[in-house]
Amino acid sequence: MRKLDGRLVILSVLVLVLLGAGGLVSGGTYLSLFNLQSMATQVPEIGLLAIGVMLAMCAGNGGIDLSGIALANLAGVASGVVVTQFVSATEAPWLFTLAFAAGALVVGALGGLLNGIIIARLGITPILCTLGTQMLFTGLAVVVSDGRSVTIGSPDPMYELGNGVILGVPYSFLIFLAVALVLGAVLRFTPFGMRLMLTGANAKAADFSGFPKKTIFTVTYTLSGLLAGLSGVIIAARNVNVKWDYGTSYLLIAILIAVMAGVRPEGGYGRIVCVVLSAVVLQLLSSLLNFIGLSNFVRDFAWGALLLSFLAVGRFGLIESLAAAVTSARSPRASKG
Amino acid sequence: MKKTLKLGVVAALLASGATAALAEGTITTVVKISGIPWFDRMETGVELFAEQNPDMSISQVGPASADSAQQLQIVQDLVAKGTDALAVVPMDPAILEGIFKRAMDRGTIIVTHEADNQMNTMVDVEAFDNAEYGAALNARLAECMGGEGKWTTFVGSLGSRTHMQWVGAGEENAKQHPGMELVDPNNESFDDANGTYEKAKEILRKHPDIKGFQTSAGNDVLGVGRAIEEAGLAGKVCLVGTGLPNPSASYLDSGAITAIGFWDPQKAGMAMNAVAKMLLEGKELTDGMDLGVEGYNSVTLKDGPGEGKLLIGNGMVLADKDTYKDYLF
Repeated sequence: MRKLDGRLVILSVLVLVLLGAGGLVSGGTYLSLFNLQSMATQVPEIGLLAIGVMLAMCAGNGGIDLSGIALANLAGVASGVVVTQFVSATEAPWLFTLAFAAGALVVGALGGLLNGIIIARLGITPILCTLGTQMLFTGLAVVVSDGRSVTIGSPDPMYELGNGVILGVPYSFLIFLAVALVLGAVLRFTPFGMRLMLTGANAKAADFSGFPKKTIFTVTYTLSGLLAGLSGVIIAARNVNVKWDYGTSYLLIAILIAVMAGVRPEGGYGRIVCVVLSAVVLQLLSSLLNFIGLSNFVRDFAWGALLLSFLAVGRFGLIESLAAAVTSARSPRASKG
Repeated sequence: MKKTLKLGVVAALLASGATAALAEGTITTVVKISGIPWFDRMETGVELFAEQNPDMSISQVGPASADSAQQLQIVQDLVAKGTDALAVVPMDPAILEGIFKRAMDRGTIIVTHEADNQMNTMVDVEAFDNAEYGAALNARLAECMGGEGKWTTFVGSLGSRTHMQWVGAGEENAKQHPGMELVDPNNESFDDANGTYEKAKEILRKHPDIKGFQTSAGNDVLGVGRAIEEAGLAGKVCLVGTGLPNPSASYLDSGAITAIGFWDPQKAGMAMNAVAKMLLEGKELTDGMDLGVEGYNSVTLKDGPGEGKLLIGNGMVLADKDTYKDYLF
């Protein structure tokens, strides 16, 4: 039998508790379809970045990706500047949207590839490499856009991507879930996923087993960059405009989400489903606090408290021992009956 | 422990939910950043307006960090919550265009401030006309200089549109005084008091006979004021520029700063809320109307860049050594 994943249990319970508390205090508005959709459209951009951070962490070697939001902004800005020159958003809305999305994804993948090459081939520590590329990407975005915001416009397909719903679920959230599902499957069922985790767990053993470590790192960081590019597309679709300094606070929030999801900063362990739930929990919590109208400093405090309690729960294995106590208490009763 | 925490939160939520339900309408002011003096001062205005309208639920919120994404999230949650009217001071007008449009489509009233390029807003409230402000600063400077002598100007950066408008209007105004000679204009300060101090020292060395400075960014008066004071020229060289009363107080007292110009965020906050209330009640805004807020007694109404209107008050304040104590923030 698989061991019970304590983290998954807590996160799921938290989602329910927050939804319940929100519904209770807002007299139902919090649970209204409109607000649920509104919250769901806010999750993907930061959630995708958090998955990127998780992949980098899982690869071990002190892995982290600090360049996520900078790359997402660069992807939106660069693709926006180029595509708006060649395709008209009003005359060819579909072509425009596809070209913009493709452009942003390509920029994202290239940026990630650059990270991967620097880390894998030149052997630079990820935190230094991505700190450097973060500044590089931000700088490029400033130069490309002249420091101003770039108007992408909102042709129908673009607007739908950022704000539209299908069967009541926002497109952007569906995309986020689909990406999470695919990556989750890749990590669990493919040789690449297994090698990624094993390399993170024990780099030396991976070396002796003949794993193509450089390729694994390069692919991992390229994937992270690709996710940043996708995040850039969603940001542009939501906000009509993109700018180089959007979401400066996302850098730390993405790491917070990953750590809260139980991803091991030393590498080798992390579950995508937990990252998705963790992103959802943070969104529910901050929307709830906005609903009550509490100061935003309280939100930072609440996030910090949440993270610390998660670390404590993980450190002392509270959920696991609780589950063990429950099962051992139940079995004698079963034999009696 | 966790349980008690949750219970506490729930109790707090219930209490706030109950008050919100009683109100006739809700107006929430969303500022760029909370916890800085400028927006703390604005909050006093919002609170004052709340006292005057006890039947409405009026409050101010803002992100804890200066990030347009954080402000966007707050605005989006407030729209989803069903807030009737939002009075927003955008961190970055472009980023909020999308959510403002969706909010207005949904029937939320949107009023903005310091965003005269915002396309999707119903009314943008500006404290004053930029040209008039620049001219007024210069008129005060000319009065101090006795209408003659060398003078120069500082701007935050050459790309800062409002600053260039202010000094441009100042130069126009100075033409009335043939004795005033503009030297080395448009020094860039980058709103950095230390850098401005160094630059002002250079100018004082290069032009020992200089008589006046007109500055634009909020910290410029501090840098130039320090240079003037250290050169022992306080009261002999005139300095008029944008600044805040509290930080400028000691230089105003010593005479290193002649006068500071600004607009009072307290009044701007009240004006935004007053406009939002009128729109909520379905009242029409007219040119020359009185918002019932000091400095907004006879406002100018123009067409904005988008569908909305641009409402310009006469809320500029010029304070000197004798009057700055009325505005301590």
